Amino acid sequence: MRSKALAVGLLCAAAAGSANAQSAAPAEIKIGALYASSGPYASISMPVFDAFKLWVDQVNANGGAEVKPFGKKIPIKLIAYDDQSSTATAATLYNQLITQDHVDLLIADSGSVLTSVGVPIAKEHKQFLFDVSGTGAAFFTDDNPYIALMADPVSTIWPHYISDFLGDEGVKAGIRTVAILYSTNDFTGTQAAALKGFFERDGKVKIVYYQGVPTTTSNYTVLINNIAALNPDAVLELGYVGNDIAFLRNLQDSGSQFRFVFTIYAGTEKEEIEKNVGISAMTNIFSYVPASNYEYTPNFGMTLTEFREAWLKKYPTGSNVAFGANAVYGYMAGLVVERTLATTKSLDQMDIHDAVFALSGQLKTLDSTFELRKDGAQIGEVTPLGQLQPAGKEELNLVAVYPPDLAKGKAVLGQ
Amino acid sequence: MLTSAIVAGVVFGLYYTLVGLGLNLVFGVMRIVNLAHGDFLMLGGMAAWWLFSSFGLHPLVSVALVIVVFLLVGLPIYYLVVPRLLRSRDSEMLSLILFFGLSQMIEAVTTIALGATERSLPPRLLGVGPMILLGTRLPKAWIFSAAASAICVLFVYLYLYRTRLGTLTRAVMVSRDEALATGIDVNFISAVAFGISIALAGVAGVFAPFILGSITPNMGVAINITAFAVIVVGTLGNPLGTLLGGIIYGVSLMLMQTYLSSWANLLPNLLLIAVLLVRPEGILGRKVRRA
Repeated sequence: MRSKALAVGLLCAAAAGSANAQSAAPAEIKIGALYASSGPYASISMPVFDAFKLWVDQVNANGGAEVKPFGKKIPIKLIAYDDQSSTATAATLYNQLITQDHVDLLIADSGSVLTSVGVPIAKEHKQFLFDVSGTGAAFFTDDNPYIALMADPVSTIWPHYISDFLGDEGVKAGIRTVAILYSTNDFTGTQAAALKGFFERDGKVKIVYYQGVPTTTSNYTVLINNIAALNPDAVLELGYVGNDIAFLRNLQDSGSQFRFVFTIYAGTEKEEIEKNVGISAMTNIFSYVPASNYEYTPNFGMTLTEFREAWLKKYPTGSNVAFGANAVYGYMAGLVVERTLATTKSLDQMDIHDAVFALSGQLKTLDSTFELRKDGAQIGEVTPLGQLQPAGKEELNLVAVYPPDLAKGKAVLGQ
Repeated sequence: MLTSAIVAGVVFGLYYTLVGLGLNLVFGVMRIVNLAHGDFLMLGGMAAWWLFSSFGLHPLVSVALVIVVFLLVGLPIYYLVVPRLLRSRDSEMLSLILFFGLSQMIEAVTTIALGATERSLPPRLLGVGPMILLGTRLPKAWIFSAAASAICVLFVYLYLYRTRLGTLTRAVMVSRDEALATGIDVNFISAVAFGISIALAGVAGVFAPFILGSITPNMGVAINITAFAVIVVGTLGNPLGTLLGGIIYGVSLMLMQTYLSSWANLLPNLLLIAVLLVRPEGILGRKVRRA
């Protein structure tokens, strides 16, 4: 009799506990995000945001995200504001998302410039920042546990295959001198500094030109003439989309020829650049090979082919949003959020931190292996060196040419 | 490198003469600052892009269409906005606010309609490859846009100094009230000047994809800042002074890119500050602004 009463009591207690857990579960998980619908960063921000929305819609269509602490699926509510590419507006809106909207998870806007203002604000409010593609090396410090880079390697990692290639195959082919022209912002400035360090450390290729220009630069004719006067074998231009468009057009117009020319977005936003500069100005240009051009095998989420199909279904051709690396980054950020919610102990921001870092090395997506350094910098998602090689009369293929274990073709160096 | 920078600067500066010319004409005639000037330029570029991508129209043909359409669009905008503005107590200051609002509206509507991404025209349309000028390699598009600018400056000069409408326009530039007292239809003269200004912005816009690489809906503000520096240097209210302002800006920019490239974006502001401190009336200015 006593054991029966005890069993009933335990059952009641368990039921009550379960009821408490159910009642404590929020009706929705609030995710705060910023995007730039206008301004200089709109072209990298909107694909990220649209891809993130695609992920939110997919999750909500399945009843919501699995949230471990509550043992159930909870719909996601996306609270998003337009910072119009202004860092001042972005700073206000990051504050608003944290202090007024009390979001459970905070997603940064795309790129280093608009992320830079969010980093100290998130740290001050002890809010974990899902940094989608802000790769500036200065964001990641040992004293800030409230940040992790989702979908891009930290800027210092990006360019090491360029220097390795030039120091290895380039030197064998007679490349001895290099010119580096970069836009002065966290993203490209860090890469330029890293490249300079690599070349100086290895001592195989000599830097003959190293200049920064404002990110707003829209004309490179005189800069190209100045570089041509020094006759370097290789020219590396590190800028944003608008910079690369202007540079490649001006390079073609100038008639100057270099044996190796690299720009970041010729590969990472190939469709966008091709539309604006044409195929002839891009032929044999070197660039990074982003995940949107390389089929990695995921253990979570859609494959690249599936994602592209889902993207085109939601944003058909002509909808003014280009598919590219940034679209992959936005979806990738969603996947990390999904796995984080499914494994975190609670919605406490340090538990969120622990859950995100526990994914390091385990999560493989269409963007390669998600791997974090202790300070939150992304070091897993590598960026092979590629070259835009002709494939027929009116088409260019971005072919991975370095490192050898990821290469799908051989580099063609100019004469 | 010095010669190359100077030659390139002069040619590049001619384009910025075209950018600032209309803005200065409006200020000279109406004493208002059209902060939407850069957005009309952007619309000119978008129009050229649309005409090419939809109908295959060459940009040099688009120039003619843009001139007509923008001139006609400028007239009703003038009658809708400017006369009321000029009746206010501080029309110069209020024009800043009003046209800033118009600028934001144009940018927002264009972004909604066309998206925020870069757009351009194929470089081959104005010829691929360099043209050698005094030993300096320059894009052919620069030569075309410099020529277009020179034609526009000549047109504005002939209009102001060789036509009856131009004479009346100069009368309004000297004193709007006196012109009104002598029976000049000040509103009509100003409306024509406003239409010409918008048309000049449109022409500059057609060449923008070739000079600036690409166009985006948000480019207006940056264009305005540069155009404003150009006309202040050349003398506010003196449309032909814009030629000098443009060339000074172009040469200074190319010298900055050559010797102090990281600081090149400070140039418009540095020029503005320098001119306002040393010669506030502008390089060609008199003590009192006149036509």
